[in-house]
Amino acid sequence: MPSHPLRVAVVCSSNQNRSMEAHNFLSKRGFDVRSFGTGTHVKLPGPAPDKPNVYDFRTTYEQMYSDLVRKDKELYTQNGILHMLERNKRIKSKPERFQNCKDRFDLVITCEERVYDQVLEDLSSREQETLQPVHVINVDIQDNHEEATLGAFLICELCQCIQHSDDMENEMDELIQEFEDKSNRPFLHTVCFY
Amino acid sequence: MTTSERVVELLNQAALKPSDEKLTVLKQVQELIINKDPSLLDNFLDEMIAFQTDKSIEVRKFVIGFIEEACKRDNELLLRLIANLNMLLKDESVNVVKKAILTLTQLYKVTLQCLVRSKTLSDMQEACWDLVTQMKGDVLSSLDSENDGIRTHAIKFTESLIITLSPRTSDSDTPKRQEGDISLDKVPKDHSYIRYDVLCEEGKSALDKLLKFMVHPAISSINLTTALGSLATIARQRPMFMSEVVQAYETLHANLPPTLAKSQVSSVRKNLKLHLVAVLKHPCSLEFQGQISTLLLDLGMPQSEITRFTPEGREQRKRPRHEQYTEGKKVKNATDKEPIEDDEDKEEPAPNSAPKPSAPPVAQSAIDVTAEFLHPLLTPENVANLVLISMVYLPDVMPASFQATYTPVESAGKDAQIKHLARLMATQMTAAGIGPGLEQRKAREEDVGKEEDNDEDSVSKDRLIKRKLPPMGLGQAISVVGGYSDKVSSDAAPATKRLPEPIVPTAQTKLSAAGGRKKVFRLSDVVQPLSEAQIDQLTSKAVKRILHSEKAIAQSGMSHVRVKLLSRLVTQFEGMMKEEVLEFILADIRSRSELAFSLLYQEYNTYLSQLPTGLLDSYDQCLYTLLSSLQEKPEQRDGLFTKLVLEAPLITESALEVIRRYCEDDSRVYLGMTTLKELIIKRPSRQFQYLHVLLDLSSHEKEKVRTTALAFLKRMYEKDQLRDYIEKFALTYMQLLVHPNPPSLLFGADKDTEVAAPWTEETVRQCLFLYLSLLPLNHQLVHELASVYTEAIADIKRSVLRAIEQPIRGMGMNSPELLLLVENCPKGAETLVTRCLHILTDKVPPSPELVERVRDLYQKRVPDVRFLIPVINGLEKNEVIQALPKLIKLNPIVVKEVFNRLLGTQHSEGSSSVSPLTPGDLLIALHNIDSTKCDMKSIIKATNLCFGEKNVYTSEVLAVVMQQLMEQSPLPMLLMRTVIQSLTMYPRLIGFVMNILSRLILKQVWKYPKVWEGFVKCCQRTRPQSYSVLLQLPAAQLTSVFERCPELREPLFHHVQSYTPHQQAHIPNSIMAVLEAKKKPEPKLVQPVMEEESFCHDAHCLIIATMQRNVVRERERERPLQQQQRG
Repeated sequence: MPSHPLRVAVVCSSNQNRSMEAHNFLSKRGFDVRSFGTGTHVKLPGPAPDKPNVYDFRTTYEQMYSDLVRKDKELYTQNGILHMLERNKRIKSKPERFQNCKDRFDLVITCEERVYDQVLEDLSSREQETLQPVHVINVDIQDNHEEATLGAFLICELCQCIQHSDDMENEMDELIQEFEDKSNRPFLHTVCFY
Repeated sequence: MTTSERVVELLNQAALKPSDEKLTVLKQVQELIINKDPSLLDNFLDEMIAFQTDKSIEVRKFVIGFIEEACKRDNELLLRLIANLNMLLKDESVNVVKKAILTLTQLYKVTLQCLVRSKTLSDMQEACWDLVTQMKGDVLSSLDSENDGIRTHAIKFTESLIITLSPRTSDSDTPKRQEGDISLDKVPKDHSYIRYDVLCEEGKSALDKLLKFMVHPAISSINLTTALGSLATIARQRPMFMSEVVQAYETLHANLPPTLAKSQVSSVRKNLKLHLVAVLKHPCSLEFQGQISTLLLDLGMPQSEITRFTPEGREQRKRPRHEQYTEGKKVKNATDKEPIEDDEDKEEPAPNSAPKPSAPPVAQSAIDVTAEFLHPLLTPENVANLVLISMVYLPDVMPASFQATYTPVESAGKDAQIKHLARLMATQMTAAGIGPGLEQRKAREEDVGKEEDNDEDSVSKDRLIKRKLPPMGLGQAISVVGGYSDKVSSDAAPATKRLPEPIVPTAQTKLSAAGGRKKVFRLSDVVQPLSEAQIDQLTSKAVKRILHSEKAIAQSGMSHVRVKLLSRLVTQFEGMMKEEVLEFILADIRSRSELAFSLLYQEYNTYLSQLPTGLLDSYDQCLYTLLSSLQEKPEQRDGLFTKLVLEAPLITESALEVIRRYCEDDSRVYLGMTTLKELIIKRPSRQFQYLHVLLDLSSHEKEKVRTTALAFLKRMYEKDQLRDYIEKFALTYMQLLVHPNPPSLLFGADKDTEVAAPWTEETVRQCLFLYLSLLPLNHQLVHELASVYTEAIADIKRSVLRAIEQPIRGMGMNSPELLLLVENCPKGAETLVTRCLHILTDKVPPSPELVERVRDLYQKRVPDVRFLIPVINGLEKNEVIQALPKLIKLNPIVVKEVFNRLLGTQHSEGSSSVSPLTPGDLLIALHNIDSTKCDMKSIIKATNLCFGEKNVYTSEVLAVVMQQLMEQSPLPMLLMRTVIQSLTMYPRLIGFVMNILSRLILKQVWKYPKVWEGFVKCCQRTRPQSYSVLLQLPAAQLTSVFERCPELREPLFHHVQSYTPHQQAHIPNSIMAVLEAKKKPEPKLVQPVMEEESFCHDAHCLIIATMQRNVVRERERERPLQQQQRG
């Protein structure tokens, strides 16, 4: 067991679906977890693929919720967006942008490669100070409810394994290899330093 | 409550609380004494530091953090705390060590800064610096740690160290936060113990180390990622190293570690891309834009994006290389000339660093040389050929790294691409140790080596020369792929003035070359070779421990593993262990048999694996020891011996010897031979070898062994595949009998052979045991015996005759082979045949077939009457009578036997034997033997034999015999003898005898002198009953009686006088006259008839006699009737 609880960040594009699902899951399992998005804006599906609902990161989930209810309650109930926002409200008030957060983590899990790249770019662009390592792992998850749930499971399992390893950094490589074999998907993994 | 009191209270609490709460409390203390009231720091320092030995990892980590904060707050504390940090750097928990490395990264800079600025000089400071330097060395060497995380932290430390120990320049891209950090340029050159040149050197060697570390083939993906990041940081903050960094990236890209998994390859490439872009963004990258953009293209970045990241060309900023060098040299020369100036001006470092190379000198490496060499050679034709040739070597499966790194070649055939290709190939060639670049370098190295010797002394003196070292050293480091390093090439940069001084000590080259590989853990590096004796001792102790942990292992249920382990170990290592294990097994072989078997099999396995040169010695020894100790153990009931023998993969000669000994053991004969039998049957490939042992045992001196062996052999003889062998053996042995002396074969090898040793009963039997026991199973063998018999000497013959009884009887007289033998009866084998006949007919009457053969033999070939004896009861009556004269002439014992046979008195149960002659017949036949064929003496002896058999010759039999004899004419000579004999035996026959006598009178018995003589004798013996018979004699004969026996007359006379007158009247006068005549002999009347010779010629007498006989016969016919009426 590591001596302190693992500080985990789960990052997706809009801090709505995938990161929030995992956030929900991990916090229930007692992890010190936070969730973020890396996009410039928060995007939610709109009436058509080319007409998404776009908010900025300052908008609360509550505000989005009321906005969508106003726009087309039935549509957003049907596609589960309202339900999702409902859940997100219960976790925190509004989405957060990774690039704006200066808190430090032990482990950052991203939900798609683009997000991973952005996280890496951000982290390496920061000035190094303490040289504390942070492991960044990408787990590819498609942006829909079902995959988000499955992905959250996987992330949770991964976090538990890491949390339970005696010497996380020493075992990380093997652990990820194991997970790759088990889940049959590639995990990108790197280490950055604060 | 003052802050101080509060701190005391908190500290007291902390001592008692569990670790997580302790941490909270301690954090409060830290806040209080560092930030709120730093004056307290000194007071409570010891109390805080005391927690560094806390058992909680978190608390220890906290203490490290506290040390860092405290030192940053008050640099003076460094002197006190650095030793504590050193302790924590060696903590047993990797997490603590990692934290300590991080802190050292910070404190190294702090220490350096503090010490450099310090105006005072103290031993303590110097000691502190020494310790920090030592700790730095420790962390650098933990690049080779086994722990991935520690290595990662060490890399970061190295990165920071390199930056600190190199001068910051105007184009350094320094983060704001680190603006104030110390760097080499701020270090004065005249410090008493912090030496500028040493630091500079250390910085370079650290970079060297990092670069070596990165090209290690087994580097982990995290370490690689970390190192890539560090290099990017270094390149940006210290552009003078950009060339090395870019070259390192290039090398890495062409030689990704083969140990990386597919996803790791992607991660690393992503990182590489990221860091390349970061480097590319730096203005100093201009010189390397070509290389970097090629790499980025290869990594899959579109050209447009590359262009976007490429900084504006600032030609004016870039100075020609040679200029830089010249400048650098100038600077150095300047400092060299005026070292005192530096001393005077503290601010000098800044201007000093400013002219430092803003762009790194490009050292032409071996790769460059080789690439240039290759470039013109890469014509389309050559490339096509290369492709075709290399097709052969393509692996079956596409390696993960290739799959990930492959990008379609966009600009194929263009010059840029050809250059790139040349470079790629050069990288590989250099790695493989070939190519003109390497050759050049080698040549140069030799030069350098020579120069170095001369300059050895000057190196330490001339700091500036040392300062010039780094770029070259680095170039060398980067080009190292497979252990080859490269030196500066001046050819490619003619503008650059070649420095006259030798630069890199050879020793350093070697060290770094070795360093490239030191991450691999090699056992040989950390262990000391043990001495031979130690090895032996340790192995034998280890084996002993395994050996004696029997019970413990059995309880854990892993005995099979132990057994396997032991057997493997013991077979692999020669020496004492084997004996020990065997002893151990033998101490309780019953429960350790599994180990025994395992060992045995393992030995055999070893032998097999060494075929064809392998020796069986070891296996043999193992098997032999096991078997012989089993054999020597007194009690042994569970058949372990058998099991071992039967399950052993191979029975060696010596093992067979043990089996033999086992069989010879009285108490185990049966078990031993059963085992042997199993071997024979179940190991067909060597069955004859085993069979031979059993055969040998069949003539063993111990009877029990012998009989058991024979019994087994008899059973085995029924098996076709063994039959011939056994038979051959038996015959070979028997045929030894033809030798005049027993061959040495018969005596055990241990006995001394005496050439002249005579045959003994013992030795003869030895040759015959097996044969004779086989004989009843295969009758044909009997002929062999006969032929051997004929050749053998007399002694052997006798022994043979004695020995064959049992088997011959076993064969029985119906055996066709035996009959054949009798029929053919080889010359010289007559005694043998006779003996056989005797044996056969000893208890049972002869069969007709046998009789037939014997008769044939007797009549046609060997007229020896002795043949007939055994079958005499099978012969016809007349044949017997014919043979009688010859028979009774034989040895009395034989005659006796013949009679026994004939009379059936031989064996009590012989009721079935029906003699062709009744006892009466026999006696009569004896009486009738022609005296010309046989002397009377033999006949009398023969009749005596008959009379000897009182049981057979009862009074009735004798009466019949007498009756018949009496009726014969002429009367048999021995008649009266028989009569007298009979009367002696059976006195109650007196009446019958009287009757006989009377009738003999009628037959004119006096005409047969011998009979007559007997008659008189008989009368004499039978008086007074014979008186009436005598009275029936004619007067002449009576006279003759009295003449022969005068004492008869008187009693007879008295007898007659006692008659009544009436009775007397019946007595003829002539008789009375004879009676009364007393001694008046009338020899003239009697004498002539006494003469036997005259008898036949007296025709008159003959007529009378005939007439009288007729009368007698008539009377006789009446007599029996009368007798019967009387009886």
